[in-house]
Amino acid sequence: MSMTLEAYKELEAVVGERNISNKPWVLAGNRARTPEYPFEYHSPDAIILPGCTEEVQEIVRICNRHRICFVVTVSGASVDAYANRGDTVLIDLRRMNRIVEINEEDRYAVIEPGVRHVQLYPELRKKGFTYVTAAVGPGGSVLANYTSTSGDNHNQHGASRANRYLLGVEMVTPEGEILRTGSLQTGSGWFCPDGPGPGLRGLIKGFFGSHGQMGIITRAAIALNPCKGPREIRTEGHSPHQHIYLDSECSKVRVFNYKSLDDVREAMLRIGEAEIGSTVMKFFYLTLAVMMTDSANEFHKLWPRIRRELPMPLVVHLATESPEEMAYEEGILNDIVEETGGVRIAPDLENWWNEHMDFFMVVSVLQRTLRLGGGWMPIKLGADSVSHIVEVGKSISEFIYDYTDTGKIFDAPENFQIVPMEYGHFAHIELLFMYDRTDPNSGKNVAEFRKTSRYTDLKHHYHAETLGCLNETTELLGPLYCNYHLWMRALKNAFDPENLANPILKE
Amino acid sequence: MWYPETTEHLSEIIRKACETGAGLVPLSSGPPHLHGASVNPEAETVCFEKMNRILKIDRKNRYARVEAGVSFGTLLPALAEHGLRANHPFLPRAGKSVAASMLEREAVLVPKYQYDYTDPLLTAEVVYGTGDVFRTGSAAGPGPVEELKADMVCPWGPGSIDFLRFLCGAQGTMGFVTWTTLKTEIRPSESELYFIEAEEPEVLSKLAAKLLFKRVPDDCIILNAIAFSAAFSEDTRQENLMREKTARWIMICRISGYERRPQERIRIYSGYLKDIAASYSLRQGTTLSGAEGLETFIDSRLDDCDRSDVYWKLRRGRVREILFLCPPSRAGLLTKMLEERTKVLPRENVGIIIQPQVQGRAFRIECDLFHSESEKEMFENCALEGEKALFAAGAYFDRPYGKLPSLVYQTDPVGVQALKKVKSVFDPKGILNPGKLCF
Ligand SMILES: Cc1cc2nc3c(=O)[nH]c(=O)nc-3n(C[C@H](O)[C@H](O)[C@H](O)COP(=O)(O)OP(=O)(O)OC[C@H]3O[C@@H](n4cnc5c(N)ncnc54)[C@H](O)[C@@H]3O)c2cc1C
Repeated sequence: MSMTLEAYKELEAVVGERNISNKPWVLAGNRARTPEYPFEYHSPDAIILPGCTEEVQEIVRICNRHRICFVVTVSGASVDAYANRGDTVLIDLRRMNRIVEINEEDRYAVIEPGVRHVQLYPELRKKGFTYVTAAVGPGGSVLANYTSTSGDNHNQHGASRANRYLLGVEMVTPEGEILRTGSLQTGSGWFCPDGPGPGLRGLIKGFFGSHGQMGIITRAAIALNPCKGPREIRTEGHSPHQHIYLDSECSKVRVFNYKSLDDVREAMLRIGEAEIGSTVMKFFYLTLAVMMTDSANEFHKLWPRIRRELPMPLVVHLATESPEEMAYEEGILNDIVEETGGVRIAPDLENWWNEHMDFFMVVSVLQRTLRLGGGWMPIKLGADSVSHIVEVGKSISEFIYDYTDTGKIFDAPENFQIVPMEYGHFAHIELLFMYDRTDPNSGKNVAEFRKTSRYTDLKHHYHAETLGCLNETTELLGPLYCNYHLWMRALKNAFDPENLANPILKE
Repeated sequence: MWYPETTEHLSEIIRKACETGAGLVPLSSGPPHLHGASVNPEAETVCFEKMNRILKIDRKNRYARVEAGVSFGTLLPALAEHGLRANHPFLPRAGKSVAASMLEREAVLVPKYQYDYTDPLLTAEVVYGTGDVFRTGSAAGPGPVEELKADMVCPWGPGSIDFLRFLCGAQGTMGFVTWTTLKTEIRPSESELYFIEAEEPEVLSKLAAKLLFKRVPDDCIILNAIAFSAAFSEDTRQENLMREKTARWIMICRISGYERRPQERIRIYSGYLKDIAASYSLRQGTTLSGAEGLETFIDSRLDDCDRSDVYWKLRRGRVREILFLCPPSRAGLLTKMLEERTKVLPRENVGIIIQPQVQGRAFRIECDLFHSESEKEMFENCALEGEKALFAAGAYFDRPYGKLPSLVYQTDPVGVQALKKVKSVFDPKGILNPGKLCF
C-alpha cells in the first residue's frame, strides 16, 4: 500500500472506521472481475463508503491534498468502476441509496447513486410511472446508468435513451466543489438540465458517461414516463423459473421473423412514422436462446431451433391506453408486417415474451447472458439513423464468418441488436459476441475481432464505434472524429488539473 | 461586418480576430432583433445571410440540414413539399434563423415530439473561438464530412461530453454554428383543431400536462385573450374586436392522424381529449366563441411563420418579452404572479402565452408587453421589476438576455466558475460575443 497512514486517517475521520477499509483481503475482493478485458488490474489502496454529498466532497479534497486518484463504484458491473493503477481510493457509493423525492406532478424522481433498479422501479410503478431502464439487471445503479455509463434500453422506440431524461444534477467536481446544473443552479428546482445560458450538463454525459472522470455525481433527477398497462403484475413460480405477466387487453408482444435487414429497416421506419408501439427491436438471437433456458445443457438443446427459426427476430411490444387503441395499433402493425415480409413466429416461442414481461422493466433475466460461463463482449454501440445503423448491421457479414467459422467466437453471426429510439428517428446497434474464455488464444482472438469490426466501420465511414470517456480508444480514434479527444482532454484538464478522477488514460 | 460564405471562410475570420483580439458577434436572422443577443457594440458582426442553403431534406429518415442563415420562411414550405414539418416555435417571424431559434432553446409547438430541451436540434457544425472546426454527435466522424456515411442525426457526444449543450443557450459565446441538423416529423394527413376556454390559466396548464403525459395532442398552446387576438388577427382593428369577445384564456390543441388509418386515430385520441378535459370540468370544441369562422385561418397560422410586413408582436411598435421556464406545479402560480406584476400596465398590452414543453414536463411562459417607443421606459421598468420578483419566486430564466445574466448568475459562483472554465477551452481569447452572459 502506498497511501500514507496520515491520508488514511484523514479519510477515516470523514466516514468513521466502519466505513473504510485497507485490509488486503477486502481490497482484493474489490478488483475488476473480468480478466478477459484489456485492463490493468489493481487493488485499491483503500475502499471508502461515504454517506452523503458533504462526505464525498471531503474525501475528494483529501485525495487532492495527497494526490491520490479516486474511482467510484456502485454495483461494479462496469470494468471502469475499479482501480486501474496504484495510489487509488475506491469510493463505494452504496450507502447513498435514498430516493430523495418522487415528484408526481412534475414527473421526476431525485435519487442518490446507490439506488438500484429493484428499489426504484416498484416505487414508481405503484404510482403509475416508469422510466427507461437499462438491461443491466435489478442490482444496477439507476444513477450510474443515467449519468456515467451508456443509457440505451429496450423501450427506447416509444421513448428515448436515458440521456434525454437526465435533469438536474448535483456533483462533486474533481477538485472538490459542489456543482449543480440546470435549474438547480438558480434554486429553481430539479426539473431542467440546461442553462442558465449554456448547459453545464454537457460536462456530465455525452454519448456515454465519463465514468467519473469529470466528477462524482451525488444526486440526480430523472424524468418519468407513464406506465401503460396494469399496475398489478402477476407473477408465477420462483427464480429461475419465474413468469411475470402484464395481463391486460392493453399490452401485447408480437415477434416476427425477417429474411433481410432491409425489410427490418422498412418495418422499423414505418412503425415509427405511424407512432405506434412501445418497444421495437431487432433482438439478439443467441442472447435470446440463453435467456430462454435455465442451464447450459438446455441452451445447447434449444439453440439449433432458435438459430433456424429466429435468425432475425423483430420484437414489438404494443402498450396502449385502451383496447380500442390496441386494435388500432395492432391493425397498423399487421399491415406493416405484411408489407415488409415479416412472419409471426411459433406461438411457444412468442409466448416466452409474454411470460417474461419483466424484460421490459427490471429486466431480471438479461444477466443470464453471463451464465454460459464463457466470455462475452458488446461492441460497436454507436447510434445514428435507423437506415445508417442497418447498413452497419449489414456490413457485419463482411467479416464475422472468419471468426464464427473458425471457432474464435461463438457461431452466431446474427447476434446483434438494433433498437430504434424516438419512434425511429435514430437507432443504436450492439454486436454482442461470446467466446471461450478458457481458450489460451481468446484474448488475442477477441482483440483481433474487435479491431476488424472497427476497421470495417472506419473503411465504410460508418458511425458505429464506441466513443466513450478518455481512454486509449478515444486517443486512437479522436483524429478521425474532429479531434474530440483533444477537446475532452482540455476540459478534463480545466476541471481536474491533477488528473485524479478515474484517470484511465496514462499521462 | 463580415459575411462568411463557407466554413473555411468563417474559420479564417475567427483566426484573424484571434490575432487582433477583435470581438465578433454572430447574426443569423433578419430584423427585427428582439432579445439583443446578436447586438454587441464591442464586437464586429459576422452575418450569416450568405450561408443560407438548405443542405438536405430526408423524408425517409425525417430530418433536414440547414445552414445558419436559413429562415423559417424558407424552410417550412420546403419541408411541406416533402410531406414533413418542423417542430417550430409559435408564429416565429419569417426571417428568423432556424438554427438560431433551436440554439436558443425556443419553445416548440408540438411538445410530444420534444424529448429534452435541445430537441429538435440534432447536430451542428461549429467553428470555435480558436478557429477550429468541430461537428457534434454522429456528425463528428469518422473522417471528413463529405465521406461520412452517417445521417448525422444522433445528438450526443462524441465521447463523454455533450458538445451540443455548450452551444445551446450560449448566444454565440462558445462558437459560431455554420449548419445544424434538425428533426422533422411527418405532416398529419388529417387533423382536428380543438379549443378549450377557461377563466383561469391554471386549470388549462394542468390539463395540458395531463394530456401530454398520455401523449394525446400534437400542437398544444395556451394563450390569454390579448396574445390570442394579437396572434390570430391580421390588423389592429380585427385584433381589438377579437380581444373583447374571446374567453380570458384559450387552449389550442391539435389531434392528428398520420398516413395510416388517420380517422381512427383522430377518433380515439379525440375521445381521450374529451374524457381528460371533462375530468377538469372543461369542454373542448371545434369552434371558438368570439372567433367564429376563423378556425381555418387559425389552423393555417399555427402551421407557418408570420409572413406579414409587421410582425404580429410589433403592431404597437415594440415588444418587451419576459421569458421563463417552470415545472407544471408552478405554472399556475407564476402566471398569476405575472398578471399581478403587470397590472399597472393597460390590460390590452399584456399578452401571455403558456407552452407545455418536453412532453409536458415543463412550461415555457412568455409575457409579451406590447408598447410604443414613447412607452419604452415604463414597460422596461415594469418588466425588470417583474423579472426580479419572479426569479425570487423560483421562475427559471434559462435564457438570460439583457440585464438578466447579472441576476441569474449572482446566486451560483461555483457554476459561473465552471462556465468560465468551459469558455476558456472553446474561446480562450474571449473574442466570441464578449460581455454576454457571464463572460
Ligand atoms: C448484463 C448487462 C447488461 C447491460 N445492459 C445495459 C443496457 O441495456 N443499457 C445500458 O445502458 N447499459 C447496460 N449495461 C451496462 C450498465 O448500464 C452499467 O454498467 C450500469 O448501469 C452501471 O451500474 P453499476 O451499478 O454497475 O455501476 P458501476 O459499474 O459501479 O459504475 C459504472 C461507471 O460509472 C461510474 N460511476 C458510478 N457511479 C458514479 C457516480 N455517482 N458519479 C460518477 N461516476 C460514477 C463508475 O466509476 C464506473 O466507471 C449492462 C451491463 C451488464 C452487465
